[in-house]
Amino acid sequence: MKKTLFAAALFVATAAGTLTPAFAAPVSYKIDPAHTAVAFIVNHIGFSNVIGRFNTVGGDISFDKDAVEKSTVNVTIDSTSIDTNHAKRDEHLRSPDFFNAKEFPKLTFKSTKIEKTGDKTGKLHGDLTMLGVTKPVVLDITFNKDGVSPASKLETAGFSARGTVKRTDFGMKYGAPAVGDDIQLLIEIEAVKS
Amino acid sequence: MSELLQDPFVQSSALPLVVSLILVGALHLLRRPLAAAGIAAGFLVVFVMVVGLPALPPPSSMGKLFWSSAIGLLLGVAADAAGLRGRAVSAALAAWLAGSLLWIALPALDSMAAVVSVVILLAVAAWVAFARASQTHGSEKAESPTAPAASLLAIALAVGGTALIGSSASIAQMALALAASAGGFLLWNWPVERHGWGVSGRVATGIAVLLAAVLTLFTQAQTAVLLLALPALLAGHVSRFVPQGRGLIGRAASSAAVTVVAVLPALVAIGAAYALTGGEASPY
Repeated sequence: MKKTLFAAALFVATAAGTLTPAFAAPVSYKIDPAHTAVAFIVNHIGFSNVIGRFNTVGGDISFDKDAVEKSTVNVTIDSTSIDTNHAKRDEHLRSPDFFNAKEFPKLTFKSTKIEKTGDKTGKLHGDLTMLGVTKPVVLDITFNKDGVSPASKLETAGFSARGTVKRTDFGMKYGAPAVGDDIQLLIEIEAVKS
Repeated sequence: MSELLQDPFVQSSALPLVVSLILVGALHLLRRPLAAAGIAAGFLVVFVMVVGLPALPPPSSMGKLFWSSAIGLLLGVAADAAGLRGRAVSAALAAWLAGSLLWIALPALDSMAAVVSVVILLAVAAWVAFARASQTHGSEKAESPTAPAASLLAIALAVGGTALIGSSASIAQMALALAASAGGFLLWNWPVERHGWGVSGRVATGIAVLLAAVLTLFTQAQTAVLLLALPALLAGHVSRFVPQGRGLIGRAASSAAVTVVAVLPALVAIGAAYALTGGEASPY
């Protein structure tokens, strides 16, 4: 009787172990600055759109492929690294008229929530802090792929993000609306496993 | 109309001039000794209209400048309303100006150049606080407002011009607005001087020093050229050597001459700023 009970218990435990899915733990990644681009598009008085980027970006990602909602993203951008391919304009962008880089050398983004909307797509909710003001933003995010990069031989994950923010929400009012208020964000990130 | 008010040129010139004319006029009717307060009040009104009301506590230097100016205005109005004069008032003015400068400058004191800049600004602030107001021509009763108002117009013009050349249009707008505000007060006192300069007037000059501080510490503008504009602060002393005209036309000409003498150093400073940039304007 005892042997029968023991065997049954063993069988149940084994079956439970087989049926229960193995939950993947979040994997920590560090943003690879060499393969990361944070770019923006802003309208210039209706004539054209100026494209610029921030050249110094860093941060970390905790990515759970099987439970994306548990993933987190933290990004820090150096506001002095702004680059629109024109030295004088970049100087103006660093001035108190725009990014006030001397007083606010960093822009930060901290994720608060991720919603999965498709197999590889989602909405990344987070708090963007710029000019000392923190506002929630939502980005459309795509998980491109992960794996060992043939170039670096390192475990890598790649993402793309798109979104729009209103700069006046952060107190950056100079020139608006002639110089666009809506700033389109184009973000491409590769992150290497920590 | 709203499009006109959005125009940066209007915001820097006509708008503050009109606002100042109205405010100085209102104070002229309500309480004449407070008329000079119309300059700082006009500046603050235009600041709110153009930039918006800064948050409290202010996260940026421009926000600190606004709230420091507001405190200074209250100090000036209180002193002029009570008819206070003398070293104690000058000391209070100096304390306000020094405290404001340090509040604004603290985040930027990361180099010897910044420290030297702040020391120079504190010295100018001390001059603004303690320097004797210009002597009234032929009268011992009230201090003549033309020379100190012309000094303020000149200094604000120098800061605005240097900022515009140095890629900081928002500081330029505010400095030029202060200059236009001073212009409104000057128009009220031309050709007949109707008001005194008082503590409120010196507060307005202090605001020009605070604008220079923000420009120096937080932008790449060539603010060393502002040292060339400092002789404008001596307009009161120079005015004694300007021939005093008789009659209305004579007095008008004398006042205009004092203003021109005050503005000349400012133009030199702006010219130097332009020359240092190689003549290249910023791509606004």
